[in-house]
Amino acid sequence: MEVKIEREPNLVTVFFIGRLDTPAAQEISKDVEALKQDAAGTIVLDCTELSYISSSGLRLFLYLRKAAGEKGGKVIVKSISDEIRTVFMMTGFLNLFEIQ
Amino acid sequence: MSKNPISNPFGKRSTWAGMLLVFVAAVTLEATSLVQYYYSRKGLEEEASNRAVSQIEATHNKIMDIIDQAEAAVRNSVWIAQWSLAHPDSLHRVCERIVGDNPVIVGSTVALVPGYDKEHPFFAPYCCREADTLTTLSLATQEYDYPSQEWFVKPIECGQGYWSEPYIDTGGGEILMTTYSVPITDPKGQTAAVLTGDISLEWLTGIMGNIKIYPHATGLMISREGKWMMNHNMKLATDEIIIDVVEQIREQDDFKKLERAMLSGESGNILISYKNMKRYVYYAPVERTGWSMCIIIPHEDIFGRVRKINLVVTLMQLLGLAMLILILRSIVRGQNKYRALNERKRMMENELHIASNIQMSMVPKVFPPYPDRNDLDMAADIVPAKEIGGDMYDYFMRDNKLFFCIGDVSGKGIPAALVMAVTRSIFRTVASHEDSPAAIVTAMNNSLSDMNENSMFVTFFCGILDMATGHIRYCNAGHNPPMILTDSIKAMPVKPNLPLGIAMGMTFEEQETDMQYDDALFLYTDGLSEAENIDHEQFGMERIEAALHGHKKSELHLKNMQKEVEKFVGKAPQSDDLTMLFIHYLGEGRQPAANHRLTLANEVGEISKLSEFVENIGEEYNLDSSLLAGINLAMEEAVTNVILYAYPEDTVGHVEICADKQGNALTFVVADKGKPFDPTLAPPVDITLGVEERRIGGLGIHLVRTIMDSVKYSRDNDMNILTLTKNI
Repeated sequence: MEVKIEREPNLVTVFFIGRLDTPAAQEISKDVEALKQDAAGTIVLDCTELSYISSSGLRLFLYLRKAAGEKGGKVIVKSISDEIRTVFMMTGFLNLFEIQ
Repeated sequence: MSKNPISNPFGKRSTWAGMLLVFVAAVTLEATSLVQYYYSRKGLEEEASNRAVSQIEATHNKIMDIIDQAEAAVRNSVWIAQWSLAHPDSLHRVCERIVGDNPVIVGSTVALVPGYDKEHPFFAPYCCREADTLTTLSLATQEYDYPSQEWFVKPIECGQGYWSEPYIDTGGGEILMTTYSVPITDPKGQTAAVLTGDISLEWLTGIMGNIKIYPHATGLMISREGKWMMNHNMKLATDEIIIDVVEQIREQDDFKKLERAMLSGESGNILISYKNMKRYVYYAPVERTGWSMCIIIPHEDIFGRVRKINLVVTLMQLLGLAMLILILRSIVRGQNKYRALNERKRMMENELHIASNIQMSMVPKVFPPYPDRNDLDMAADIVPAKEIGGDMYDYFMRDNKLFFCIGDVSGKGIPAALVMAVTRSIFRTVASHEDSPAAIVTAMNNSLSDMNENSMFVTFFCGILDMATGHIRYCNAGHNPPMILTDSIKAMPVKPNLPLGIAMGMTFEEQETDMQYDDALFLYTDGLSEAENIDHEQFGMERIEAALHGHKKSELHLKNMQKEVEKFVGKAPQSDDLTMLFIHYLGEGRQPAANHRLTLANEVGEISKLSEFVENIGEEYNLDSSLLAGINLAMEEAVTNVILYAYPEDTVGHVEICADKQGNALTFVVADKGKPFDPTLAPPVDITLGVEERRIGGLGIHLVRTIMDSVKYSRDNDMNILTLTKNI
């Protein structure tokens, strides 16, 4: 699992590459949780190359979403695969995130 | 202890070898001295011969000198005598002249052949010297009858000069005499008279008696008639032996041979034995007189010296041999002492061997140990570095549970072996009524600490394997972590704890894990991991791990490990006791009859194995990717839940996953021995809630329930069993 973070004024883009399973989520949790500071702006979670996500990954997404909710920013989830869209659907995440 | 008499065949053999050595040395020495003696004798014999011969020659010369003088004196007067024949009355002058002019001659006569002179039919004037005075007598007396005397008859007979047999002159001073007589012929060639010169032989006996070439050497002279010439009373003042010789030996054959040889004018030597006395006699003839002389030398005189030397040499040799015997004896005694020590050592080794047998009989050695059971395959071996050692293992079955242990007593040899024996009995005693490894180890520690005056300690590992479930509870006391052989090979996570016997009242923590069908435990002592080769490299964990690959049966494992260690150690001596114990579990355990099975440790990192496992199942059943993705997710959620929350932190635990397909139903069983937890009781997640209301947790179980068609939980035999079914 690889995570790339690109920052522009008021915009942070996070690229998830690979499988975001439990061990991967534990690995990147610190980096992702650190993005709480940017939660006032826009955070784009680029899932173009994300092949898999489990609840541990979903928790990180929800964490950022809650932070954005508190700080008045917004989280955009970008380019999710059908499989991940199914997971989002099953967990009600489609309603929580702006999907592009 | 009974004392064995020390007598073994080896000892006797070496004594015999010693005796033989002495014998050979003695023979060699004796042979040497015999050779030496022989040559010395030969030399001495030659020397004696040379001395005797040259003495005879010198004496002969002396005699010949006198004989010559006497013969010359008589011959020189022959012509006067011839001339005086016509005047017999003047013949006495001839005699007087001979005696007067020649000191050698002591008497002289001119005796007419009877009837030659008509006037004097018998006429023999005789002149002799007595005390420097010349006296003239007539020998023509009735009693004397000179014409019959040898000195008169013989020269006429043979017509030439003749030396008479020696005789004792009774008329004069009773001295030994001999007479040289020559016939006188008148101008007509008729034998007219005999002219004589007498010489005393006293000087001769003097000469002969003075032949002192050896202390007891004596010279003797024999006349042609076989008369021994000595002084008048037939005695030689010098040596009584000669009297023996002449008076007693005479009858001896040897002596007769000598007489014969001498009388026939030969020269040579002869050995005469008489009365245990041997004498060498050297003899040679005296020219003209028909005499023969000899020198008699006692054997002792010639060889006495060499005999003495030989005696001294022999005595010294005997002394040397005696010393050799003493040295050999002390060597043999030393050997006996050494042998006695050896014997004692052998007895100790024997006792050690018995002790070793006793010790070995304390550990179970018959494999397979439970031939009726098909759920257990075991193998073990113990190889002490010395005859006996401080390693131990033990096991026994109680209540369908295998109690097993391995231990290593500090130190080696007898002290370690005694402690090992004690440890083993305590284990048996305690484990017969305790059901918890920690309790067993704690009780053993207290027992061993209580009587530990020699500060010996024992590293110990004790486990109890439930044959029905494969569950193992174990407790370690400072021993090497055993290896557990599942899909992978790992050291068992153990709490180190202190070894037994160090501190009384210590508490030992218990740990637990599970074994599946075909899993195995490998227990060993540091004699394996620390086995050294000649370069002092240790066998080490890596080699142990490598050797554990590729086998299933315990016996093969054991043999392979032994082979590997032997190969590694090579010729280096075994430095420590080496003990190995394989326990290969073949029980059903938690084993569902499943086609697919996976055991994961309670580590998050194990999750990747799970997705591989699920992928394989998907491939096998040709599941489409979106279905498989869902199953994958649900399984990850179910298993992650166990890994993260079932076991207390820092506790080793496992989660087993089985998959099976019955008809359209693909069933997964997730089992663990963690704390009881029923996920089906978790409250459902309301996915319609807004961001603020949504809880972070609970999503995993929600996903499992959403994806799977059926989720069932049961608690069975201390296990959480979650059964997940997906219709495909």
